[in-house]
Amino acid sequence: MLDVRGLSVGYAGNDVVHGASFEVRTGEAVAIIGSNGAGKTTLLRSVCGLLAPTEGAVTFDGGEVTGTTTAELARAGMAYVPAERHLFPGMTVVENLTLGAYPGRPEQQQLDFVYELFPRLKERTAQTAGTMSGGEQQMLAVGRALMGQPRLLMLDEPTTGLAPKLAADAYRALKVLKEQGMTILVAEQQVPLALDLADRGYVLEDGRMELSGTSEELAGNDEVRRAYLGIA
Amino acid sequence: MGAVLLDGIVGGLQLGLLAMGLSLLYGLGGILNLAHGAVAVTAAIVASLVVDGVGYPIGVAAVIGVGAAALLTLAMDRTVMQAVYKQEGEHRVLLSLLLSLGVAFLVDGLLEWRYPSGALSIRIGGGPVDVFGIGMRRGSLYAAAIALVALGGMIFFLRRTTLGRAVRSIIEDEQGARLVGIDPARVRTLIFVVSGALAGLVAMTNSMSAPVDVRSGFAFTINALIVTVVGGLGSASGALLAGLLLGIVNVLSAFYIGAYVTSIILLTAAAVTILVKPSGLLGRSR
Repeated sequence: MLDVRGLSVGYAGNDVVHGASFEVRTGEAVAIIGSNGAGKTTLLRSVCGLLAPTEGAVTFDGGEVTGTTTAELARAGMAYVPAERHLFPGMTVVENLTLGAYPGRPEQQQLDFVYELFPRLKERTAQTAGTMSGGEQQMLAVGRALMGQPRLLMLDEPTTGLAPKLAADAYRALKVLKEQGMTILVAEQQVPLALDLADRGYVLEDGRMELSGTSEELAGNDEVRRAYLGIA
Repeated sequence: MGAVLLDGIVGGLQLGLLAMGLSLLYGLGGILNLAHGAVAVTAAIVASLVVDGVGYPIGVAAVIGVGAAALLTLAMDRTVMQAVYKQEGEHRVLLSLLLSLGVAFLVDGLLEWRYPSGALSIRIGGGPVDVFGIGMRRGSLYAAAIALVALGGMIFFLRRTTLGRAVRSIIEDEQGARLVGIDPARVRTLIFVVSGALAGLVAMTNSMSAPVDVRSGFAFTINALIVTVVGGLGSASGALLAGLLLGIVNVLSAFYIGAYVTSIILLTAAAVTILVKPSGLLGRSR
């Protein structure tokens, strides 16, 4: 589904990510874990076209998409939910969801699907996004991404600013999506949650992919346990 | 008093329409188009040439004039503004001001040179019409009706259509818009052309009560800027509200004090708005 080869990317000529490679196969959930500042966000932003890589290639759905704009990638089925969510704050829940289906009209079936996943959104269809709580905004951001019926759902730190219970709720929803066959890529510092969801994971440190393996392998790895799971 | 107020509303609707395009364009792309008035005047002069030179009926000429204004903004978007779009933030606003001012000088200069006495005045015949017991000129009534239909159309477009929602979403959060598959550059081009057409339309409606000549561009631009600032940059409904308010302020000050003070009073109103509410009446502070 997604194949990233030797990607280097950064800001103003200074690379933050150095030759990162990883792949996500159809139907898989993959986690990229790493501490704050490791380059996870930069990496994801470059995959979805918000940042131009200095080197490397991104292949999506069998075709090379390096240099393709974010809007085109979104229409091709690559949905990205950034940590800051980038909702439309002055618009209602329904309007945000409707725009998720752009350029098409939202299908009732898809809307029902999102409401079933996040019943809170259905209770608040007429509320403006900017006035919602962090947890609700996160639901709306994922819901908006789902309205476009994406083939790949990428999320950057979906637990940002959420209390532990809400963070767990967010991952429960992702698990439901995964069980229904959604391909998911998530970047996360809350490693236990991410590894619980994912089939496989990669460890990004200082912009380099240092480790990869199944979630069980990573959870059992001494370095991962020490650095990210708080187990000596 | 009633007649003055009604006049203010008629003028205000047109001011709102004039400012709407300018305001949306700022919200969409952080650009201020100082050639807005020159675009309006171009529509008026083209329409007058079509009527006088070719002899088409005024309705057809008006459509051609509005089309010319739309084409001029399309040309701006495709050429000089490309340099502006490459810039970000403050640099973009500044460069858009400078380059569009250049376009304004160029267009105004060309028109004054080629058609020094060019002017459009659309005469609507027939006697005054009774509105709430006040006799209104037919020209004002037509102008108000056209402005209302255009404003209604714009509001319907922005609220109810997919493309209109896309316009608002870019103003709300451009990156969010990209993430749902909207191409901001294309939408900006569309709104640039729409703003040109609206400016052209306002030149037509204005010419129903007073002639629009080759030197009217500056006043159009200044009025549009004031209304845009008062209404809130990027807010379409703010432009309409501010247009109505300032339209009424405009005629009241002209009626009770004198036409010479109106621009001072309008500018004061804009300055006070900026001091009290920097984001404008309906603009959201960012």
